[in-house]
Amino acid sequence: MSDVLLRAASVTRRFGDLTAVSDVSMQVGPGEVVGLLGANGAGKTTLMRMLLGLLGTTSGTVEVLGGPPTRERRRRLGYVPQNLGLYPDLTATENMRFAADSYRTPVPNLPADLARYAGSLVGELPLGAQRKLAFVIALSHDPEVLLLDEPTSGVDALSRSALWDTIREQSADGTGVLVTTHYMQEAQQCDRLLLMSDGQLVGQGSEADLIGATAAAAVRTDDWAAVFGVLNGAGVPVILDGRDVRVADADLDEVRRILAGAGLAATVEPVPATLEERMLTLARAKAR
Amino acid sequence: MKAMVVKEFRELARDRRTLAMLIVLPLLLLVIFGYAANFYVSSVKAAVVGPQAAQVTAQLPAFFEVTVDAPTDTRADAEKLLQDNTVDVAFVADQTPVLALVDGSNLFAAQSIVGTLNSFGSSVQTEVLYNPDLTTAWVMIPAIIGLILTFIGTIVTSIGLVREREAGTLEQLAVMPIKPSSVILGKIAPYFLLASLDMIIVTVLGMTLFDVPFNGSVAVFALGAALFLFVVLGIGVFISTISRTTGQAIQTAFLVMLPSILLSGMIFPLDAMAPGVRWIGYLLPLTYFVMISQGVMLRGASLVSLWPAFAVLAVMATVVFTAATLRFRRDLAPGERRRAPAAARVDA
Repeated sequence: MSDVLLRAASVTRRFGDLTAVSDVSMQVGPGEVVGLLGANGAGKTTLMRMLLGLLGTTSGTVEVLGGPPTRERRRRLGYVPQNLGLYPDLTATENMRFAADSYRTPVPNLPADLARYAGSLVGELPLGAQRKLAFVIALSHDPEVLLLDEPTSGVDALSRSALWDTIREQSADGTGVLVTTHYMQEAQQCDRLLLMSDGQLVGQGSEADLIGATAAAAVRTDDWAAVFGVLNGAGVPVILDGRDVRVADADLDEVRRILAGAGLAATVEPVPATLEERMLTLARAKAR
Repeated sequence: MKAMVVKEFRELARDRRTLAMLIVLPLLLLVIFGYAANFYVSSVKAAVVGPQAAQVTAQLPAFFEVTVDAPTDTRADAEKLLQDNTVDVAFVADQTPVLALVDGSNLFAAQSIVGTLNSFGSSVQTEVLYNPDLTTAWVMIPAIIGLILTFIGTIVTSIGLVREREAGTLEQLAVMPIKPSSVILGKIAPYFLLASLDMIIVTVLGMTLFDVPFNGSVAVFALGAALFLFVVLGIGVFISTISRTTGQAIQTAFLVMLPSILLSGMIFPLDAMAPGVRWIGYLLPLTYFVMISQGVMLRGASLVSLWPAFAVLAVMATVVFTAATLRFRRDLAPGERRRAPAAARVDA
């Protein structure tokens, strides 16, 4: 097996005047779970579609299993798109049979919790069951790499946890996994993270690497709306967490000075930064 | 309400296909009904055979455009000319009264001819071939078969393909180890079979319920239908490649269906249309299928006599199907073209 299963080298993709992905380089190795993080519109899906060969690159190159993403190489991939790619008018079993016939593999058995849906039309299944079925189908031909686009989107916590168990089992068997998500909590499940913002790769590493020495501040106040408005207006990277206002990459004295200048009473305390806050600061730094 | 009206206009301005329908459709209907909606045939092609051919030709009014003047030919030769659709009427001038053989498969021309011949009184004996009672159903049913094939080929096929795009399964197919050619053939084969089955049912029903004759070769008819199906299926696949939604596919297919119904010669005779509109009819595949189906079923026309229609359909099938397949293939394996087009949807 190659040391690099997926590779993008200085990949850019433009749609007219819009640059969806700009000069991104990344790779995924065997047994590695790499999380592609970013807000909606960050370019995660576009990058994944280029890696799959579903979308051409404007510049740069992508490699799958040591070469361009040809049909022969793509057969060694497992892919679960955001919309799952299942036929809603076919039953769960019929969907599996179609995939098995296409890959010329035996029809897999449905997991116990999906067995009761075997004869049901996929369009009538709960979203969690549909996602699980898409996983079963994507894994049915023993892929060397899994590409999962928002695999847990719209799924309840229990199903999400079960899907992540499956992902970890696959990686333990040596399968490389590239997974996009905008759930920061899921980042902890990944071995390595790639942070994307506005089409650019703004950081990569483990969660701890990425957060590093980033400082954050929690601003506690009765008038959170005014505090948020003043800090945001002053160009401070500010996030709302419930009714708490948090400042990423904070200079505590600067925050206190701005609030005092606006006549707002608040306590400003240092707190450990979150990944979301680190993403915000990285994106701002890149923009500058 | 004002906000709703403004929003609606904004949406319409951006929906170019609906806008095109709003502008093109009224113009199309105006042109069709202004220039094409004409049942009156102003002149017909005539053959005059037999020893008195020259005298008869000299006496015929301008309505009869004599394209064949053959004093040595017989009734059998005249019938052959009608069967091959070389002429609409053939005068056999070897007896008194002169015998006029009329091609009843060309309904409106035949009605005009019979009307004109009736004014000649007893000097002409009229015999209508291939559709003696000038029954409209006999002429319409072979054309309706083509219309049904057009419906399945364009609307049903394009919807079936666009549904893959809407459900996101087209992308999944692109990742699977299925050749694009297998995907395309696998998608259209069921429609080809269903359309063939529909064609057989309609033909048999037409023959049993309306006594429509089937005078020609089934093989020639099947060959014409297969070529025509390839053209309309190709159009269906092509429509699917330029449509993102089922609604768009139906809109576009409708723009193919409407002129096919009105300008293919199925309802209004091509010969009666103004030349400025008639050429549209000659661009439509249904025009050529109608020539073949009416020719084979009613006149028993041979492959040799129908070769121009077969040739046009073969060219259309090749061009349309190739273009459609290439476009569809591009959707299935876009990354294999390394450089990307500038304009596309952003999936970020």
